[in-house]
Amino acid sequence: MSVLSVPPVRAAPSRLVPPRLVRALWLELKRSPVPYLLPLLAVFFYLDPLRTADGYPPVWTLRASVIGRDVLYGFSVFAAGIAAWAGTREGRRKTADLLATTPRAAWSRLSVALAGTLCWLLLAFLACVAVLYVQTALQATWGGPPLWPVLVGAAAMAMATVIGFTCGAVFPGRFTAPLVALGIAVLFEIGFREAAAFRGALVKHPSPWAGNVPLGVRVHELLSLNTGTYALLSPMNGVPSVDAGVYYRVAPDLSIVQVMFMGGIAVAVFGALGLAAGLREPGSAGGWPVRLAAVVLVACGAAAAGTGFALAGTAQPDAVAGGWEIPALHSAASDQPINAAPDCTSAGGFQVCVDPALGFDLRSVAAELDPEAAEIAGLPGAPVRAAEISSTNGWKAGIYGNPPVFEFNTDHADTVNTEFDGAPNLEGWQTELRQGLLDAFLAGPSPAAGLDPAQQAVRDALLAGAGAQLAQESYPPPLLPAAVAAAARRFEALPAGTRHAWLAAHLAALRAGKITLAQLP
Amino acid sequence: MNVEMRDTRRSFGKNRAVAGVDLQLGTGVFGLLGPNGAGKTSLLRMLATVLPPTSGEIRLLGRDPRGAAARREIRRRLGYLPQSLGYYPSFTVVEFIEYFALLKEMPSSAVPAAVAAAVERVDLGAKARAKLRTLSGGMLRRVGIAQAIVNNPDLLLLDEPTAGLDPEQRVHFRRLLRSLGGNSTVVVSTHLVEDVGTACSEVALMSAGKVVFRGTPDELTARGAGHEVGDAPLERGYSAVLAEARS
Repeated sequence: MSVLSVPPVRAAPSRLVPPRLVRALWLELKRSPVPYLLPLLAVFFYLDPLRTADGYPPVWTLRASVIGRDVLYGFSVFAAGIAAWAGTREGRRKTADLLATTPRAAWSRLSVALAGTLCWLLLAFLACVAVLYVQTALQATWGGPPLWPVLVGAAAMAMATVIGFTCGAVFPGRFTAPLVALGIAVLFEIGFREAAAFRGALVKHPSPWAGNVPLGVRVHELLSLNTGTYALLSPMNGVPSVDAGVYYRVAPDLSIVQVMFMGGIAVAVFGALGLAAGLREPGSAGGWPVRLAAVVLVACGAAAAGTGFALAGTAQPDAVAGGWEIPALHSAASDQPINAAPDCTSAGGFQVCVDPALGFDLRSVAAELDPEAAEIAGLPGAPVRAAEISSTNGWKAGIYGNPPVFEFNTDHADTVNTEFDGAPNLEGWQTELRQGLLDAFLAGPSPAAGLDPAQQAVRDALLAGAGAQLAQESYPPPLLPAAVAAAARRFEALPAGTRHAWLAAHLAALRAGKITLAQLP
Repeated sequence: MNVEMRDTRRSFGKNRAVAGVDLQLGTGVFGLLGPNGAGKTSLLRMLATVLPPTSGEIRLLGRDPRGAAARREIRRRLGYLPQSLGYYPSFTVVEFIEYFALLKEMPSSAVPAAVAAAVERVDLGAKARAKLRTLSGGMLRRVGIAQAIVNNPDLLLLDEPTAGLDPEQRVHFRRLLRSLGGNSTVVVSTHLVEDVGTACSEVALMSAGKVVFRGTPDELTARGAGHEVGDAPLERGYSAVLAEARS
């Protein structure tokens, strides 16, 4: 067709035409490089975060912790790299001269490209979070999806994307994308190590959750060993306890400062992109209003990030609900316990209750406790029921109250510590739960000192009598494990009625530590 | 006058690319000739508001491009095809042209029709949905022309527009130039004197950063009378003027 045979203007079809920015964004979305790489992200998500989450008990807060720790690590590195690649486009494709003749300010033009990249990356992130949450919803027995981890994740994704894109736009080299991805990976690795060191320091030093740290202690005072505020600001959080968010709401304090910090950095770097674009294309700076807007964004972003950093430095352990509280942001309302009717069963004749969030584990727990409860039923101080308690406020498992109730914590559901072994340590927690009941029943006036040899032998005999494997543990010198084991076998060999009668007669002496191994029948 | 330049100069370090050019242009097709390094591209980039002059004065479409608001208004009414066209391979022809129409701040309701018209004016209707990575060099050049004319510019700057076009397309393009020059100022920088002879109403010849000749193509041809270098009359005029400027 010749140019002469074609009318210069064709009539526009009558349809709704979207605004310029929307249409430009649509073009960027259509031609973004991100969708081509989404299958890689999907594979990563399946192999690491999803499988990790699947290994955790279906408790919302615990499962949601995967977002910060596992999802973001891979997604942010990817986001920074691909955003840097998108940012280098004008430099790589040598369109700068042509684009500079258009009336749109360079910052405005780059913002649309950045928005296209960010939309895809956020969409991918949110899709993965949705999969994670749907999987949890299908398994969880109580509660709902926490939103703060999603907001923190979105802020981290935005930060990585804006940093990557800006680096790409300012330094449009072929190595920019891999270098930026590597830089973000190093930043996150530092965050991970800080968080790991942070947890290590909490273990080595008096634990705030054990209630041994006086309230008012600041983070930097508590953790002077190679850790700092960055550990708290990093989205690379640690694994929370199984019942985090079950008995008490997770205070959003830390999430708020994380969003402030990372969101602030994103805004400041976005403003810096405007200033850099103006310097690179002086004629395309868009005049003083655009430059002023860029400066304001840099200032506001830096202020938000700085405020977040300063606030994180005032964080202190929340002795009641666990986690961290920031005095300037903390609401006492979040320290109120969550009132939820427990899930109970008396199928074995012994009532066992757990929080509804851990209801998925009720039958297993009851199955472990029922035989032991039957062994000691009717004896003085024997519990009439068992109830689960929070592990975050420093309470210890034990038998309390009148009538006596065996209170245990959520360690029974804690398969987290064995996640790297490939399978939950079922035998471990079964034995621990049974031992916990008998230890609490047989312990003397100083339970912290542990059981003496005779108490251990009786406990092992009762465990064996109820069908459990004897614990493999060391006994204090000079006693030989064999001596305790022999006494336990001897006591176990007695008829159940005889054992019960002997315990009824000698329980007070046994608890007082006045029975020796030789005195056991 | 759509273009007014007074003693315009541009230097890159010690190299004087444009060394005092005075130019006033109204509507019509204006050819810019000259050997490599004569300063044509620098002059065009100054007219495109990409490159500020080192000294001198430029007014485009009645405005001073040094002011941000005026520059923005000029750019809305400007079309520019650089010597080396950068493009995004994953964009289709229509998307690429639409992208520039949007950046030129055309009313969004006018964009679809303008894009369709630009595509057909460069005879790329059959390739409208093809991705740019699949196009030949000549087709890409036509895409570049289409993005330059999509906003019906009052000032159209084309740097080597016919490089890579086949003879048939060159003929088509010259017709297009003539039609565009009817109501806007078109500045064409080229090495190909036959483009100038058939499409331009006026021509300037640059050498060492200065305009050494300005007139109609016929006047340039006349300057070649008796000159032996060159195959065509216009080429002989071109060579004669250059030889005179260098001597």
